Amino acid sequence: MNSYVRSNPKRCIGCRTCLISCVVAHSDKSFFELDPDGYAFNPRLFMAKTTLVTTPVHCRHCENPACKASCLSKAISVVDNRVLVDAKKCIGCKNCVAACPFGAMEIVDTGRSAPDGLPIKVALKCDLCEGVADSPACVKVCLTEALELVTEGDLKNDLAAKRRAAAVAAQA
Amino acid sequence: MTIKKTQTTCCYCGAGCQLLFTSDVEANKILDVHPVQGRTNDDKACLKGWFGWDFLNDPQILTKRLRVPLIRRGGKGSPLEPASWEEAIKFVADNLTQIKEKWGPDSIMGAASARGPGNEPNYLMQKFMRAGVGTNNIDHCARICHAASVAGSRQTIGEGAMSLSIPEIEDAEVIFNIGYNAAASHPIVARRIVKASEKGAFIICADPRVTETARISNLHLQLKGGTNLALTNSLAYVIINEGLLDKGFIQDHAKDYEAYRDIVLEYPPEKIGPICGLDPDDIKLAARRYAGSSRSVILWGMGVTQFSQGVEVVKSLCSLALLTGNFGRLSTGTGPVRGQNNVQGTCDMGVLPDVYPGYQSVTDPEARAKFAKAWKVKSLPSEVGLQLTRVPEKVVHEKDPAKRIHAYYIFGEDPAQSDPDLAELRETLKAIDFVVVQDIFFNKTAQYADAILPATSWGEHEGVYTSSDRGFQRIRKVLEPLGDVKDDSDIICLVSTAMGYPMKYQNSEEIWNEMIDLCPKFTGATYEKIERQGSVQWPCYDKGPEDKGTMFLHKDGQFATPDGRGIFKTSHYHPPTEVENSEYPLTLCTVREVGHYSARTMTGNCRALRNLEDEPGWVEMTPSDCQALGVASGELVKVTSKRGSIITRCQETDRVKPGAVYMTYQWWVGACNELTISSLDPASRTPEYKYCAARVEKIKDQKWAEAEIARVYADLRLAMGVDPKEARS
Repeated sequence: MNSYVRSNPKRCIGCRTCLISCVVAHSDKSFFELDPDGYAFNPRLFMAKTTLVTTPVHCRHCENPACKASCLSKAISVVDNRVLVDAKKCIGCKNCVAACPFGAMEIVDTGRSAPDGLPIKVALKCDLCEGVADSPACVKVCLTEALELVTEGDLKNDLAAKRRAAAVAAQA
Repeated sequence: MTIKKTQTTCCYCGAGCQLLFTSDVEANKILDVHPVQGRTNDDKACLKGWFGWDFLNDPQILTKRLRVPLIRRGGKGSPLEPASWEEAIKFVADNLTQIKEKWGPDSIMGAASARGPGNEPNYLMQKFMRAGVGTNNIDHCARICHAASVAGSRQTIGEGAMSLSIPEIEDAEVIFNIGYNAAASHPIVARRIVKASEKGAFIICADPRVTETARISNLHLQLKGGTNLALTNSLAYVIINEGLLDKGFIQDHAKDYEAYRDIVLEYPPEKIGPICGLDPDDIKLAARRYAGSSRSVILWGMGVTQFSQGVEVVKSLCSLALLTGNFGRLSTGTGPVRGQNNVQGTCDMGVLPDVYPGYQSVTDPEARAKFAKAWKVKSLPSEVGLQLTRVPEKVVHEKDPAKRIHAYYIFGEDPAQSDPDLAELRETLKAIDFVVVQDIFFNKTAQYADAILPATSWGEHEGVYTSSDRGFQRIRKVLEPLGDVKDDSDIICLVSTAMGYPMKYQNSEEIWNEMIDLCPKFTGATYEKIERQGSVQWPCYDKGPEDKGTMFLHKDGQFATPDGRGIFKTSHYHPPTEVENSEYPLTLCTVREVGHYSARTMTGNCRALRNLEDEPGWVEMTPSDCQALGVASGELVKVTSKRGSIITRCQETDRVKPGAVYMTYQWWVGACNELTISSLDPASRTPEYKYCAARVEKIKDQKWAEAEIARVYADLRLAMGVDPKEARS
């Protein structure tokens, strides 16, 4: 089963430290040495706020990803329990953006240009910090511990605990 | 490559988080920053702690670091030109001396810094003003934030600081959170509120907006802005009327209950509910829950103090805690959570017109004699000095030149961005004969300076900050400063010496030692003890290791008042000064942006924080108000008050009430202080930032507006001395 980052809105204070940590972790060279006017700032998670809820929105790394099914250029694949976008293959058709039920996919300007001079815009989403950090950067920096990485094992343990609790409750 | 690890205290907000820097010594470069275990933060930090050190790289996003002294040799109107330190110090000292000789010491005003410099230079600044210049005209930005808390708390419970500690919040049973948005002001305190909620605390949040605390609260009192005192008096009514008061505590530890009772008994919830826009039953429930626990905590922020009745509400809140005996134990008491990293410390250092370091009154002859002797002067001024919010009154509105302020020494502040009614403030700065700015960045105020003295930044010097909960903590040097800059303490000593009052210290510890020996409450907090414990909370009387400081105040109901008793105080409610009308039908309240800080010279020069939120900022409006004006989220709109007009972006949100709009105060293009009113609380002289009348208008030509914003921003950067892009790369 794929892993994903789960958020607890009861803990989230909407500070968006997670959004910055995502960009800093995915920066090719040190973010703090980039030309201040010459880089793209594209977090792979988003903050959603209503009167009832405050929470970052991440990719759920679905088991049957609608984004993957909709992709015209086969840029989306499931690798090592993550749903990943290959930016080199992406043509920016936006099918995945429409298909994702969570709004976790976005077409972003990379800040780079193609040989024909057009800005390169591609689909971008959470990659669980594959190859850029030991664990997802957003989870590491969250000061209220509102975010956690959930693996298949974690989910099974959660379910086992829930079943035990429910069984006890049913007897009471 | 030599790697250096340096632990220091964060330079943002009063939470006092501990950060560990890894730097490359030869390259003089920061490689990594992350939070480490500290008394208040555990091992956590918010976005400013993690990413807010970038300004040390001087990326010149909003402004530029000052690297060399600048003076206007040809007087007002002439250009700012680079000068040697020798020339700049002489220029400042000569001008200040001339003004002092012509108009007297009280014609000079000093504003010191609650931000980067730390306690030691602030101690020296007030010493210089009092002993060197000979005036008590020394103040700082607490005046525009928590001065009401200092005044109101000292008048009732004797001590103007948080009575409890930040970590204690999470073990409270009831939290009454009023006018305080921890998630935006102090994320690390918000974390404790979240923890308290998870541990089962009952959270009451009184706020006109749905803040994060309101969202997770058990009871949200979404009151109308400006009605705090009606609410707090009504809570007291319920507590008294239903017999929920702690009679034993009142009898043994408090006084003046009867006069207080006579006032609050005029505030039954049935009468007050409509004034506050609240259900009377909710007021009753809040009162019962607050009074129903012996671990009830009150937290408040600018939503209490930045009103013309700020001091009265603070007194009323302290009285609620007295009424229910909620003082002097773990996880109870009152918590005015201080905004800036060292605003508690700057108060501690006596950078206030009425007290010496350690809150010793300038009107007390014994204290005056003690400080005069220590500072080796014959006498010290006995009159309380001027509050900084009254500078405009003493310049543009003062007819008699002999009573005017003629010189303003501004150290680490930016009044031309942070003070209310900016048009009036600019007029004031232009009219003052001589303005000195001592800072790390060129800022809006620097444009009006006659001399600019460049200082070292946080991260480039040693010292001590005081966290919001009275905790002395060390700051340490991470990088070597670049350019011809000096430590703030050295600059003040040079100016003072050139004016005939010599001061010289080897290091920050020598200054600290002089200070603690003059302040009984701080005497035990030596550098050695601070180093060993990591944090020492005052009062700490004894230098010996057994006095570890004080976690919470007023133990056993012993208050810091002359007779040890808490004093009940409150007043009658009256509406804010400027209320909405047909021309200005909306109420405007200024609020805070979590990723930005103060006048924004620091966070505005951090790449990531700038990316998260940038000019011109937002005006929060409810969907019905947006519809009525035909404006949508993201659109640029014009906001106007009697005092000015600015362009900002509309943010539609159902977290605010109809008729009330909110703007964050950090923006330079969308500067809400062009609009705010300079009416002051008569007791604390804190401005009413939280309430004035305004109107919002649709801008038809959005393209023009976007271009206008870009043009103003570009002009501002040029005015701040930011080099054009070509010159930087």
